[in-house]
Amino acid sequence: MKKTLMASAAAMMMTTGAWAQDVGVSMALFDDNFLTVLRNGIQEMADGMDGVDVQIEDAQNDVARQLDQINNFIASGVDAIIVNPVDTSATEAMTAAAEAAGVPLVYVNRQPINVDSLPDNQAFVASNEIESGTLETFEICKILRAQGKGDGARAYLMMGELSNQAAVQRTKDVDDVIGMDMCNFIEIIDRQTANWSREQATNLMTNWLSSGEEFDAVIANNDEMAIGAIQAMKAAGLDMDVIVVGGVDATQDALAAMQAGDLDVTVFQNASGQGSGALNAAIALANGEEVAQKVYIPFELVTPANIDGYLNQN
Amino acid sequence: MADQTSHGIGGLTFDKSKRSWPNEFNVFLALILIILLFEALGQILPYMNNQSMLFDFNDARDGTILNMARIKIIILQVSIIGIISLGVTQVIISGGIDLSSGPLVGAAAMIVMSFAQTELVNGNPNPKAVFGAWSFDLPVLVPLIVGLVFGAMIGAINGFFIAFARIPPFIATLGMFLVCRGISQWWTKGQPVSFPTEGYAWIGTGMMPVVWFIGLAILLHLIMRYTVYGKHTYAIGSNEEAARMSGINVRRHKVMVYMIASMLAAFAAIVLSSKNLTAQAGMGQFYELYAIAMAVIGGVSLTGGRGSIIGTVLGAMVFGVIQSGFTYIKLDAFYQLMAMGAIIIGAVVLDQYRQRRAAART
Repeated sequence: MKKTLMASAAAMMMTTGAWAQDVGVSMALFDDNFLTVLRNGIQEMADGMDGVDVQIEDAQNDVARQLDQINNFIASGVDAIIVNPVDTSATEAMTAAAEAAGVPLVYVNRQPINVDSLPDNQAFVASNEIESGTLETFEICKILRAQGKGDGARAYLMMGELSNQAAVQRTKDVDDVIGMDMCNFIEIIDRQTANWSREQATNLMTNWLSSGEEFDAVIANNDEMAIGAIQAMKAAGLDMDVIVVGGVDATQDALAAMQAGDLDVTVFQNASGQGSGALNAAIALANGEEVAQKVYIPFELVTPANIDGYLNQN
Repeated sequence: MADQTSHGIGGLTFDKSKRSWPNEFNVFLALILIILLFEALGQILPYMNNQSMLFDFNDARDGTILNMARIKIIILQVSIIGIISLGVTQVIISGGIDLSSGPLVGAAAMIVMSFAQTELVNGNPNPKAVFGAWSFDLPVLVPLIVGLVFGAMIGAINGFFIAFARIPPFIATLGMFLVCRGISQWWTKGQPVSFPTEGYAWIGTGMMPVVWFIGLAILLHLIMRYTVYGKHTYAIGSNEEAARMSGINVRRHKVMVYMIASMLAAFAAIVLSSKNLTAQAGMGQFYELYAIAMAVIGGVSLTGGRGSIIGTVLGAMVFGVIQSGFTYIKLDAFYQLMAMGAIIIGAVVLDQYRQRRAAART
């Protein structure tokens, strides 16, 4: 046992120590909470490894800038590239550039359009968005049933940025869940975008409240918007014990809102796990090892019952 | 013998055809028109069940015939950008432009919030703490002063490069746009800053943003209308060379104009982060453009020298009414930006048309 450990440690030193691995990372956007946790996940893992250097750049939500960054990485001879795509439909050119140069490429967090036709030395690491909205909406459906509203409940739906794949998918998840027999008692009164933003969500919720319609739940595509809705409802004097509010991300702010009894459901997407998973895949590909082309890090449902396990995660 | 009454004013006589109402009146009319349009849609659209936008005859809700909740949100949702647009208005009147206000909101919010955090959240230590123990539960005056000083500093740098280094305002403030966005990301490496003290949270609670907006609007209106500062601002915007030759210290004045604008943007950041109980690096996105649009809809001329605070406040109200109106008629989210863009362009086209007609008459 000891021997094999030593041998594998020596092997690791051979592979990582002898040739230091340079990994270029192009993030879609630096000023996004979730992507920041993911980015820190990559950085922290790299810091903890010998001979792995990461250079992380901000594509500032600009497709052209991102492609330039990838070409610059290739030109400076990195051993692998990690891309968090700005636009998931613009990844063909990135795949082609990396493939032509023979540099391994790992897409992280956002599913590239060519995910099914990636060359052998490219992979995709993310969580499956279908899980997030489904877990959220189904839990809300169960809570509403437990409240005895199984024969009719009304909900508002807050969507993220309309151009964003996660917003589109989570919204579709909501529609899919309330299309099921068990949850089709939920009626969506209105669906609007608040662009992932707490401020916009507060304003949107207050506008909804001003129409005076009765409702039982607010389903938001992310936590920031759920918190905005909660702040607006509390300002209007609504009882947060009765109204069910759900979000996605399990941010620190959301967990605090859940501890205060305002937020009922959120979903934990393991951002840091995606970051380290992507770096693992990139290093393995750079070493010429076999890697599964789709690596899914599971979403996890967070409710007041299991919140304690998540307080230090994000 | 010539007409005696006209003698002293160079032969000018009162001419009915040259009479025109103040510019702000047009903006007010446009506001009424847009409200009527939404009220009409409320009656026409089949799924609206003849709801009204501003009226609510169900006494049980708030005891008035008005829908007070909607009237409040119309003003509340534009108050914070409105505070920025007050500062932008005087910048544009002075013949300049300020593109840095949106990112400045992000940067100022991040910095200010770091000095406004509480120690305990639900009995647990603050998970978003930026500094050590000394920074917890400081008196609310500390973050306020930090924010205003930061704003003044950014404004002074803007003003210095524009007035003394003679860089076009568009470029100088565009550079500051990037610098400020960088500061907001660098401050905590992208992490949000949350959980402020109760004193700080009071600044933006409830209808407080509206109180700040209206209060500052009145103050700025008085300054622009009745003080030397205001007169000099209009003079510089109308004809900078003439202003300089009549003894106005144009350079010093411009620095002050940009400092006041940036301090207002920093204050908006304080109100915004207090209202939301959080500061995030991406805050204030597009605020600079909305602030400029509010001023322009309110009749402030981008060529300088023309416009007023009252106009800008009305311009902000137009934004608020459109925003609430879209939610009220449940306009599909996909059409909202397009409709808003069309309304902004339409409002300015109408204003230009009126300007040309007024010019042709004289």
